[in-house]
Parts: sequence; C-alpha cells; structure tokens
Amino acid sequence: MRALYSTHLPAVKRYVLQNGGTGNDAQDMFQEAMTVLWMSVKEGRLVPDTDPGGFLYRVAKNKWLDVVRSAAHRHMKVVHDDRALDHGTDVVDDIEERIVRLRDVYDKLDDKCRKVLDQFYFERKDLATIAEGMGVEEESIRTIKYRCMMKLRAFRKAISGEDRNEA
Amino acid sequence: MNQGPLDRSRFEAIESYVLGSMGPDERARFEEELTVDASLRAEVDLQRENIRAVELGGLTRMLKTISEEQGTGEEGWRANAWKQRMKYAAVIALVLSVSLWLLRPPANERLFAQHFVADPGLPVAMSATDDHTFQDAMVAFKLGDHAEARSKWLPLLQADPNNDTLRYYIANASLALHEPAPAIPFLESLARDPSSAFMKKAQWYLFLAYVDAGDVAKARAVPLDDDATYGERVRAIKGQLD
Repeated sequence: MRALYSTHLPAVKRYVLQNGGTGNDAQDMFQEAMTVLWMSVKEGRLVPDTDPGGFLYRVAKNKWLDVVRSAAHRHMKVVHDDRALDHGTDVVDDIEERIVRLRDVYDKLDDKCRKVLDQFYFERKDLATIAEGMGVEEESIRTIKYRCMMKLRAFRKAISGEDRNEA
Repeated sequence: MNQGPLDRSRFEAIESYVLGSMGPDERARFEEELTVDASLRAEVDLQRENIRAVELGGLTRMLKTISEEQGTGEEGWRANAWKQRMKYAAVIALVLSVSLWLLRPPANERLFAQHFVADPGLPVAMSATDDHTFQDAMVAFKLGDHAEARSKWLPLLQADPNNDTLRYYIANASLALHEPAPAIPFLESLARDPSSAFMKKAQWYLFLAYVDAGDVAKARAVPLDDDATYGERVRAIKGQLD
C-alpha cells in the first residue's frame, strides 16, 4: 500500500496542482482513488491486466474534475480535460456508490467497536493478540466483536425495514 | 433475512465461512445448508457486507496514516515554525533512538524483516472463468493485500490440494503476514519436490520461515549455502543467527 502510494501519488499531485488544486487536494483525490482500487479488487471487479497506476490516475483525475466543476470552483480553467476519452466507467461509479453506503454503515460504530473490529477483520489479528494489546481477556474481545457486529446487523435490519416501508 | 436475533455460535459459523477459515468438512456441510436455506444465504450476504464496511473503515484509517507519514508536500513550512521544530528535533530523535533500541524485535525477526521480500507474483492475464478467483487473489497479492489473497486461494487449494502454485503462493502470503507456522508445512513439501518449479525458491522461503519462527537448528540445516542465487545471503544470515 505504501509502495503504491509513493509511486503513483506524484502523477496525481502534478495534475491537481496544474489544475488549481493544492497538495492536500491531491492527497484527498489519491486516497479516494486508492479506496476505489482496493474495493474493485475486493469485489473481483478489476479488469485483469489493469495497470494500478493508470487506474489510480484516471479515478483521481475524474474526481478532481468533479470538484473543479462544482459551484465553488466554477471560475477555474481546466488545463487538461480528456475525461470524455477515459471516463466510461460505470463500474467505478457503482463502486463509489457502494463505498458511500459502506461508510455510512461503519459510521454507526463507536470507537471501542471500531478498535476491536478493525484489528480482527482488517488487520486480521487473532483474538488473543487483540486481547493482549488491549489488556483484557480473549473472551471479552470475542463478546465485544459479537455485540458490535450485532449492532451493525440491527442497523441494516432497520434500513431494510425502511426500504420496505418506502416501497 | 431473518429479523430475529442471531446467536453467537451461528454468527461465528457464518463469520468463519465468510473469512475462509472454515475447515473443508464443515465448509461442505455449510454450503449444503446454504443451498436450501434462503435465510442463511441472506445472513451470509449481510455479514459479508458488514465485514466489508469494517475493512473499508480500516483502509481509510491506514491511508490517512500513510498520508500523514508522507506529508502533504505543501509549501506550508514557515521559517520560524521550522526553527521552532528544529529545536526539539534532536531531543525527539534521541528519545526515539533509545526507545527503538529498547523495543527492537528479536534478532531472528529482524533478520527475517531485513531479507524477506514477497514473491513478485505471476502475470495476471485474461483467462478461463475457472481461473478468475485465482487471478483476483493474485491481483490482491500484488497489491500487498496478502490476507485477502490467501483467503481466496485457500478454498481453491481444498479443491486441488496438490497444486504446487497454490501451495507456494499461500505460503508466501503467510510469510508476508509474518505467520511462518502455516507457511512451513507447504514450503517443506515444495522444497523437497524436484518436480516442482518452485523447489529452489521454496527452499529459500523455508529458510526464512525457520528464521522468522526462531527455529535456528532447522534454518541451519537448509542446504542452500553453496547455491548460486541464495548462498551468499544464506551464509550471511546463518552467521548472525544465535
């Protein structure tokens, strides 16, 4: 992840800076592009032979063009806009919508839940290691994990209920 | 989806299935149940979705950390602020050096970290649908997401337990995750299989796995000292083992 970051950020940064953005803007666009790339891999939706650098650049550039065209940036002139040539990515749009939905789910968790679930599901640490790091019994971590996941389940259940009511 | 509560053992069974950590017999039984139980299928989908949300949260946090580590590159450093920071830099560096020295990992783990580089992976090409999962996992492997790659390859290995490519890359992913124990049995069998194209590389990674696991006697017994590719590194590491 770090290697991808340091290798491909400079090209995105160059583009954003050329088009009225700042280094911070470039970082934001690049992080969003990295998230889209990661999600595409996870969901098995990345076309084989895709060049990660090209993918990141294309997604970050299109995201920056969206920002530039927003109301706050209408006065800016875009130096390079070949979006029509390289947009065409319904898959990316789907993935981005999915990311928004999943972030909404994650936002429902409190800090304690995030700390335990991150370590177990993202860092893939085992329960004993998490327990040792947090200074509690392994069984406590197991219980916290279960309860936190049940909170997410209840949240999703409520959402699906609302969807049914709207329908 | 079942609107009622989900007990913990059921939740953990679904979790184990989604994470790919279920044993082959249990997995077979579970999949049989899935074919006839729509409510279970919905729970599996839901849990997969919730785990993905958590993973996404973890990724966002990691990207933020990397961004902070690398800095923004802005021209924001004011001269005075720079001088102010410099006043403390030497003190901080000294404290960090002492802390890092005190907290440094054992010698064998440092040697492993110094010498281990994950296999670059195989080219990912358009291929038959049978290979799709393998190729997905290979992309994840190349992106450094070794846990994801391994979890996708493990079910394939259950269907084809003698596949040396799967065994080699699963072992490599485990080593990249700093988990030598599950890697060692795969590498031991590959390292003594002259019919495998991975034999020599497996011997090198087996050597590193023993080093990481702290099994000095087995590491010393790996016969790579005179190997044209690995000999120099192997001799250097052996010279530094306790």
